[in-house]
Amino acid sequence: MSTGNSSAGIEQDAVASALTAFVNANIMARGRSVQPDDDFELMGVDSMAMLKVLLFVEAEFGFWMPDEDLVEENLTSPRALAHYICRRRGLS
Amino acid sequence: MALHSTGKVVSSSNAVLVVQCDGAIDPERVSRSLDRLLRFCPWPAARLRRPFPWGKLHWAANGGGARRRPPVRRRAVATAEELHQAIDAELNTAIDPRREPPLRVLVLDGAPDLVGGAGVLVLTWFHPLMDPRGAQNLLHHLVHLDRHASEAPWGDAVPVFVRGADPRPFKERGRLARKSLEYMRTLPRVQPVSSRKGGAGRVRFRQVSFTERASAAKPWRNTQEIWWRVAVVGKAMRRLWEQQSVPDVPFLLPIAVDLRPKGDLGPTFGNTLAFHFARFKPSDAADVPRLASALRAQLADAVRGGHIEANDAAMDFLQYRPLAMVRRALRWTGGETFSFNCADVTDFPAALDRCFGRRVVNAFHVPAVPPRPGIGVFFNRCAARSNLVVAWIEGVVTDNDVTRIVETVREEMGWIETS
Repeated sequence: MSTGNSSAGIEQDAVASALTAFVNANIMARGRSVQPDDDFELMGVDSMAMLKVLLFVEAEFGFWMPDEDLVEENLTSPRALAHYICRRRGLS
Repeated sequence: MALHSTGKVVSSSNAVLVVQCDGAIDPERVSRSLDRLLRFCPWPAARLRRPFPWGKLHWAANGGGARRRPPVRRRAVATAEELHQAIDAELNTAIDPRREPPLRVLVLDGAPDLVGGAGVLVLTWFHPLMDPRGAQNLLHHLVHLDRHASEAPWGDAVPVFVRGADPRPFKERGRLARKSLEYMRTLPRVQPVSSRKGGAGRVRFRQVSFTERASAAKPWRNTQEIWWRVAVVGKAMRRLWEQQSVPDVPFLLPIAVDLRPKGDLGPTFGNTLAFHFARFKPSDAADVPRLASALRAQLADAVRGGHIEANDAAMDFLQYRPLAMVRRALRWTGGETFSFNCADVTDFPAALDRCFGRRVVNAFHVPAVPPRPGIGVFFNRCAARSNLVVAWIEGVVTDNDVTRIVETVREEMGWIETS
């Protein structure tokens, strides 16, 4: 059980890192990197920037995030989004 | 960013940023900051020039001579109505960028108990000079200079005031621009929401501030996104449309995409926007969540298809062209440009919580509205308030129409009007 939780945590960290790397390379200004726990909104990630993140999720993880899942809880930070992605992958 | 007139200024192309503070603003401090900014950046003193009759307009700083500071004026207002009239006059006293600086500042002193009017800074500019975010950046630079009196206020890191030239070869940019035009040719014929024919007129605006309902507590980030807000405004426009008893033909409207990298100010002057062209039928707006979802899918398709990038290249060719020329380029639209305008300027920067020694209590924009379609609805947020601004050309809609637009948006967003 603990092994399962541990591997899930590692996967979530990896997904959060991938999301963070994408945001820093494609959305943020040079020298203004986000960290996995940073708030997207506070970092200036607007509608279009968030759309790019969702397109990255689609390309990288194979699904288009449905409207009903576009809630604060899932989109607050790279880690929150990673948590959602892992949860969804576990369910599918 | 087209120009409304090729010869003389027949209609105001002004845009304004209104910053309401908790006390009187000293215009001397604003003037000093502008003077100092001109040492680093010529744009506030530039003139719009056309090198050849057939050439593209461009901004030119005074060649080698002293740069003349844009005017900073001061006046008193006693009532909320006078405050509105003062802003209205700023909007409608057209700046002629060929003969005067492309921006000016008005400082308004209000009575201490005047809501939103104890001290107001009104920044007015000729709209192709910069977009609303650029105006916020300009204010940010002025406030920075006010706070840092040294000769090198930015140290070795002087801000980049304009976007760098596109490094891609001309041929590649031309290919992208053509791709954008071809994409636009697939868009439906446009109908403005108003049946009014004609061009220039007086610009009017209405600004209302709201707060979120406590129970709402931001359950859906979706409602903050531009596609949701366009759907809500679409519902309001649908009601105008229905009054005219016209067929259910599609609306077309431009959604501005800010190309600045996030987390930093980015460029201040010039164009940093590309456009996505959203379209939907008025009847689609009956179901806001469904329409918002469809608009999100449209935007996603536009990004996937590279159309935002292509439009960015096209804007480089289209900007500073006369509106008539842009209309010719968009001839498949039947001479109309868009059905209405809608934009969200998002949050007023937290770093501007104080301006020239005063606490900012609210700030909002009134972007320029082209004579056709002659109406725009704009959002922004400041100090826990959501601002809604409706700007229109007189005669395009009635005051009652505007009231209905505001009420529809308030209702759909679940907002409460502030005093």
